Parts: sequence; C-alpha cells; structure tokens
Amino acid sequence: MSAPLLSIAGLTASVDEKTILHGIDLDVAAGETHVLMGPNGAGKSTMGHVIMGDPVYTVNEGSITFDGQDITEMSTDKRSRAGLFLSFQAPVEIPGVPLSSFLRASVAGRPGLEMKGKEFRRRVKELAAELDMDTAYLNRELGVGFSGGEKKKVEMLQLLLLQPKLAILDETDSGLDVDALGVVSRGMDAYRKATDGSLVIITHNTRILEHLKVDRVHVMVNGHIVREDDASLIPWIDANGFDSFEREAAEQLSEQSADAPAGSARIPANLGAGMSQSLRSVLDSDGPVCDANGAQ
Amino acid sequence: MDSLTIRNASAMPAPTWSWLKMNSVDIEVPEGLERTCRVEIEASEALTDNMKSFEGALAELQGRQNEARAADSAATDDRAVARAARGADQGAADLDTPALSAYERSAVLSELAGDVARDFETGVGTNARSYLNFLAGGTVVLAAKEGAVEEAAIRVTANAGETSGASIDVVCAPDSELKLTLSLDSDAADPAFVGSTLRIFAGARARVDIVVYVTGSDAVTAVEDSGFVLDEGARVSVRHVVLGGKFTATGLAADLRGDHARIDVDTSYLAGGTEQRDFNYVIRHRGRKTVSNMDANGVLTGTSKKCLRGTIDLIHGAKGAEGNERETVLLASKGVDNKTIPSILCDEDDVAGNHGATIGHVRPEQLFYAACRGLSQEQTEALFLSAKLEEAVLTAPTDEIRTNVVRLGNQIVPNFEEEIA
Repeated sequence: MSAPLLSIAGLTASVDEKTILHGIDLDVAAGETHVLMGPNGAGKSTMGHVIMGDPVYTVNEGSITFDGQDITEMSTDKRSRAGLFLSFQAPVEIPGVPLSSFLRASVAGRPGLEMKGKEFRRRVKELAAELDMDTAYLNRELGVGFSGGEKKKVEMLQLLLLQPKLAILDETDSGLDVDALGVVSRGMDAYRKATDGSLVIITHNTRILEHLKVDRVHVMVNGHIVREDDASLIPWIDANGFDSFEREAAEQLSEQSADAPAGSARIPANLGAGMSQSLRSVLDSDGPVCDANGAQ
Repeated sequence: MDSLTIRNASAMPAPTWSWLKMNSVDIEVPEGLERTCRVEIEASEALTDNMKSFEGALAELQGRQNEARAADSAATDDRAVARAARGADQGAADLDTPALSAYERSAVLSELAGDVARDFETGVGTNARSYLNFLAGGTVVLAAKEGAVEEAAIRVTANAGETSGASIDVVCAPDSELKLTLSLDSDAADPAFVGSTLRIFAGARARVDIVVYVTGSDAVTAVEDSGFVLDEGARVSVRHVVLGGKFTATGLAADLRGDHARIDVDTSYLAGGTEQRDFNYVIRHRGRKTVSNMDANGVLTGTSKKCLRGTIDLIHGAKGAEGNERETVLLASKGVDNKTIPSILCDEDDVAGNHGATIGHVRPEQLFYAACRGLSQEQTEALFLSAKLEEAVLTAPTDEIRTNVVRLGNQIVPNFEEEIA
C-alpha cells in the first residue's frame, strides 16, 4: 500500500471516562474503499465521530494522521476543510436554516469549490437531479420534515458537492427502501468517479457493497478491530454474521482476565492474529471456503 | 431637540412582577435630533381623496353596536363582577360581591360601557403615539371604498441626526381589500429615529394585509405603533419583519369587535451585537367566534436583548372565540437576553386560548454536524442570521424593501448580496 491518506495508530478514545475504542490501528490509502463492519454497539459510529473530532469523545492515546498532517488535536471544521467528510447515520435537523443556505456556507472558502450564486444553484440542482431529489427540498429548513430517505439523499448531495478526499459513510444505507438504496449507491459511484476519493463505509448491510470494489474489510467488536481482510470476508459475514467474532472476543477477554494479575485485566490492543486463526478454523469446519485470494 | 424618554411604552394590560422588568419599556429618543418628515406615501387617488375619518368609522360602528345592545334584552348585566365594578365596596355587608383589582375594575367597566372609541388603543401606547403624531405634523387618511381593491406603500426614513415619523389612519369600507406595505428604514451611521403610528379600521368583511419591514442600522431607534378595530367578519393579516435597529419597539393592539373577525400576526425578527427588540401585542376578543393567531420566530446573537409580550384577552361575551400565540426563538450565542411573556386573560367560558414558546440554543449535535461540513461555531451562528435575512429578501414585498434588506445583510454577512444573487 502506498503512504496512507488516513492513518490511525493506537487510538484509544472514551466518553464520560468509559473507554469505547481500544488501541485502534487503521490505514486507508488514497482511492481505496474500506468497509467497517461489526455488531451493534461495537464502536463503529464512535470511530467515525472520533476521526472527525467530535468533542463528545476524548482521545486518550494514539494519533490520527490525515494527508500527512497530524489532526488528532484539530477542530472538526478544520478536518472537514482538510478533506474529511462524515455522512451521518441520523442527520440532525437545523430549523431556521434552509438547506440551500447551509450548502452554500459549506462550500464557501473551499479552494476550487467556491461558486457564485447562479453557478452554485445550477450545480446543486444538477446533483439533486442525479440523486432523484426534489429541488423543493433546497428551500426547506435543513432536515425538518424530511423523510429518512430524503435525509440520506441530502448527505449524498453534500458528499458530491464537497468532494472530500476521504468520506466516512456511517450506515448511510440504514432504513432505506430499495429505491433509496439505489440512489445512495449511485451517489457513492458518482463520488468515486468524480474524485477518486477514499471511502470508509460503516454498514450492517452488505447489499450496498455489491457494486463497489472493496479493498479492505475491518471487523470491530467491543471497540477493538478484531479482523482485517480483503473483500472475500463480506460474503462470509453475510452468511455467518458476527457471532464467532463476538464469541472469540469474549473468550479472549476472559482468558486475559484470568491470566492477568488482579486489577490489570485488559484486552490486548489488537486481536487480529488470534481472530484470524479462529476464523480460519470456522471456515474450514462449516463455513464457505475463503482462500488467500478471496475466492470462494 | 433634547433627549426624550417615552416612559411606560408597550405596557402589558395586566402587569406581572415589577422585578421581572417586563411590564413595559422606556424608549430613549437620542438628543440633538432634528425633526424632519421623510415620509413617502404611494397610494392611488381613490385611497387618498376621501372625506373619511377613523373616528367617523368608529362612531358608525358604535351606533350599530348600541342598537344591537338595546335590542338585546339580556344586556342588563348582574354578574358579581359587574356589581363590584359599578358600586362602592360594601365590605362585610355584601360578601357575594368580590373586591376587584384596579385592572379588573377598569376591564369590567370597559366591557359594560362598550365604548369603541374609548377602548381604542395602540400597541406602543399613548405617549409614543403623541410623539409620533408630533413628528408627522398631521395624519394622512387612506380610505378604501366599499368593494374596492387597493394597494399602498409607506416609507419612513431618516438621515443621521434626524427624527422622522408618520401618522396614518386607514379606513376600509365593508367588502374592501387593502394591501399596505410599511418600511421603516435608515442607514444612518450616527443616531437617528424613525417611527410610525397607524390606526386601522377594517369594515365588515374587509380584507387588510399589512407588511412592515424595519431595517435600520445599528445606530437607529425605530418605533412602529399600530391599533386595529375589526368589524364583523373582517380579516386582517399583519407581518412584522424586524431585522435591524439599535433599539426597536413594535406594538400592535387589536379590538376584534365584530363577530367572526380574525387577525393573524406573523412576526420575524433578528438581533445581533448589542441591539434590543421590544414587542407588545394585545389582542382583545370582544365579538363572538373571533379568531386570533400570533406567531413569532426570531434569532438572537451577540449580546442582544429581546422582550415579547403577547396578550390575548377573551372578554365576556366573546363566545366561541379562539386565540393562539406561539413563539420560537433561537439563541445563537450565550450572551443574549431573551424574555417572552405570553398572557391569556379570560372572562368567558366558551372560548379557547393557547400559547406556547420554544426557546433554544444551537445544540451541540447541530454544531458538530455543521462543523463536519466545515463550519466553525461562529460561522454556524452567522448562518442563522443570514438565513433569516435571506428569507426576508425572498419575501420582500417591494424592490425598495428588498434593497434595504440586502444593504443590511451586507453589513452583517460578508458577500451577502453576492451569495443570494
């Protein structure tokens, strides 16, 4: 892999003194598509928010480097302007602010994206059409009264408008019907074609990945990255779920607790090797075969 | 002119605790201002060439009301409060007659007298109206004839060091329609004062649509005062858009005298820096099945202050009346001082009065969402301001008012005009 665009090293983060992420290591190269999967409550969304610098979370250890710059202490708005983007699982509503005004403020001051009034409106209408989005929404207050599908379309619209270097899509596909899912997929395609940007897709739903070339898959359980592999892992997870990962993580936690001196129980920072061995044995016994090249 | 303080302006009909400092406001007219009359009135000859008067319209209505009361055998009111208001305190000798507060006594006497002219009031009040009449030097009467459809525009402005005011009476005959726009504007860099006082009579089934824009700079004091009397079935809609001014006072009082009369008041405001906004709305339901709606929506930033008093008075006899008041305020920064006092007075059983207020700061999750799109907290707060200005531009009733809003917008939001082009 070439020098990573996003590099997370030993990242531990907490909220209200409760550690959510434990020693996360993750590299995403320019132009790559990574998928972050895991059961509910694994910390996937938290990771997206921590990468964006959500002040709710405290980074206790480790660093985040983006485009050669350490952004661990950088404010969220500056991370956005550096080229990071987070699509929200549940986009917020901002009453009193029309969507068009919000979009215009978002692009203002971004080199290469600044547009005059008419040019801006034309561009936004083009993108709205591409996403099958009624342009009447542009004059409505941001998110207010929007359906779940429309909110996700607005997220895609912003992705295409801002053209970030790396976009984290946090369950953008959740709660969508088939048509809306197609629109979101088209949005991701359009983003990749227009920018060759990187994607980190957080999802439960492997269907959204069907038309994407996925480079790496990361599985997260209890705030740990427990498995990394290529795209061949996706159909296996589709068939078997996360049970084996969760079981293995629980066993390892229990072993660590038993082995460690009193008061020092701690999950190792990276369970990848152990989990990899475990997964191999599961695949060999009753799962679909997953060879080194990802073919089944 | 020496400095002038108009005391007890925009007073609430039924005061609350004094220490809340919400019962009224003192309006300071800066010293050294030169009295001028920079008022332009754009109206057809049919509106201005008339022999009508506001007082005459009230007298006509009074005549009809008196006839109706005389024909109503139940007009003799023997309620305990009526006895109390009419007679002297009997002390322990008459325990069925309650003691009344000064406010209650005046309210009951007003109700018993049924005197339309004496009950007439304006929102900011008599003292401010007197000053504005003095500035105007005379009152212009706009009268829409029966069944006519008319439009008019009034512009009041002042240069730095000037004080300017307009006094307008509007008389709409039955079944007429009138659209009136009023602009209070001044881009003065030094103290100035602009104001207007309106008396509006909406005849039976008349439709009156009034839009007021206040777009003064942050050195300007602006006072917009109005009073309405609505005859049977009259419909009035008022839109107040208050965007600029160091201090602004907006006051509206309405007397829904005729049955089935209705008034809708829609207020949109913003204030930034150290600006101050004051609103006083008093809507009195006297006719049966009368309806009122007050909606206010505003954004406050910087260390601005705002006080909104909204009173719905459901007077005895207004059976089937309904009054609603709602306010939504966004406090875009922590230094603002926001006061809202919705008040419903009720002396009738068969009525409905509703009020609600939503007051909120920009929530942390909204700030984070905006930050994820590259907006700092300051930029997000400014966004609320620019959105309010943009809405005001889009809904401006005339090109001139639009220009005023854009000028104000350019002072508040960098490249505002370019962005909305």
